[in-house]
Amino acid sequence: MSQPAPQLSLAVGDRVVYPNQGVCRVFGVEAKEVAGQTLTFVSMRREEDGAVVMVPTTKIQSIGLRKVASSEEVARVFAFLKSESDKADLDWKQRARTNLDRMSQGGIHGLAEVVKGLQVLSELRPLPAKERELYDNARHLLVSEISASLSVPPCDAEDAIDVVLFPPGRERPKRTAEEFKQVAADDEGLDLGEDLLSLGSDLDLPSDEEAASGEEAAQADAEEGDEQAPARAGARGKRAHGDGKAAEERSHKAKRGGSAKPKPAKEASSSKSEAKKRGRPTKGKAVSEAAPARHARPSPSRAKTSGARKKK
Amino acid sequence: MIRLVTLEDYDPKDLDRLCRALYAAFGVGCEHSGKVKWPEDVGDPVDARKFLERVDSVRAYSDDKLLYVISKKLKDRELPPGTVPTQGWAKYGEDRAVITTYPVKNLEEGIKRVARGALHQLGHLWDLHHCLDPRCSMYPPWTPSFPNGDAIFCTFCRDKSEQKLRLAKS
Repeated sequence: MSQPAPQLSLAVGDRVVYPNQGVCRVFGVEAKEVAGQTLTFVSMRREEDGAVVMVPTTKIQSIGLRKVASSEEVARVFAFLKSESDKADLDWKQRARTNLDRMSQGGIHGLAEVVKGLQVLSELRPLPAKERELYDNARHLLVSEISASLSVPPCDAEDAIDVVLFPPGRERPKRTAEEFKQVAADDEGLDLGEDLLSLGSDLDLPSDEEAASGEEAAQADAEEGDEQAPARAGARGKRAHGDGKAAEERSHKAKRGGSAKPKPAKEASSSKSEAKKRGRPTKGKAVSEAAPARHARPSPSRAKTSGARKKK
Repeated sequence: MIRLVTLEDYDPKDLDRLCRALYAAFGVGCEHSGKVKWPEDVGDPVDARKFLERVDSVRAYSDDKLLYVISKKLKDRELPPGTVPTQGWAKYGEDRAVITTYPVKNLEEGIKRVARGALHQLGHLWDLHHCLDPRCSMYPPWTPSFPNGDAIFCTFCRDKSEQKLRLAKS
């Protein structure tokens, strides 16, 4: 996914895939003057609805425009869909990020990964609305690309995908959250070596809790439901009961940049009193402050006025 | 408008029941638009793709969807990953689909199953893909639980079909 794609040369009549849009057919390559600059544009028409897209040749690579997958690539996709993969990320934020990357830059294999991942996840619980939509979009793009690649009608392309995902005569298995946790734990064990784990404390990374805003956290709770709650609680508990110093250091580092510097004690106290003064005084305090003024010696001006009144 | 087209004789009551089920699912008028003759060279079992290419049309308006109901068996399709059992077939996003009543001997009893298959194929005509919900009619039709379900859509598929219908009307 991160490998730089070779420069794509397009000619009229080529079929290409525009990420997140679908299969398009190139109908023109022409130079145009835009804001005083002469740019070469590739004009293409989306096969689904005939919408016209014009892309400057300099942007082709960054957009992720690519040719329609070959039949070998499609065969590899079917093999991937057929494999007994139980990988599904239970962290919604991580999952959303990965899926978006796969949709825009992952090619046909990325689309298959999104479809397969969400399908596996749906065996645990119904997908939330946004992910259901993402699943439908990914499926639509995958179907149209396979249909274009194998030159079969879209219905056959979809059935070809689903005969692999839903083998005839077999119901989809019901999964439990434990299965996913097991897989995630195995993956973590494989991916993160000791070197990387030891680097963890040196990296100045913001914690997930801080990064997530209130809304996000609420959404996370809503989406994750009860499945992850025990896992999170367990993880937090482990952190809390783990080496206390390391945890303190970590939390201190995590807070760096996020919160303001601690003020000196004097300043802090003065600022506190200022803050109290600024605020509207409470009734009781106002009475106590005003009361001594009655007993206090009257000011000369006040005395004069009072005397004047007496004279009157 | 959904137009049912038959190639054999069916009990009008059964067809009426099927029309009502389709109307309830899509909220679009549905009627039996008559009988057409069998196209030539579609094989036996019937090749669904050839059948739809060669069969006569009864379309009246551009946004009409035609559903051909046949009693002969449809040929299973050979696709790169394997053989797909075929109870119906549709031209995705276009105007015509075919379903077979072949496995159902008594249509009066098996109307629920036929209606579910009809909903599935008509859903493809309105750009619906297969669904993950086993209760939805867009669930893959070769799964064991499919014939036992009701002729209904899940919330997502219903919303999507309604959206497509609104766009088609406008």
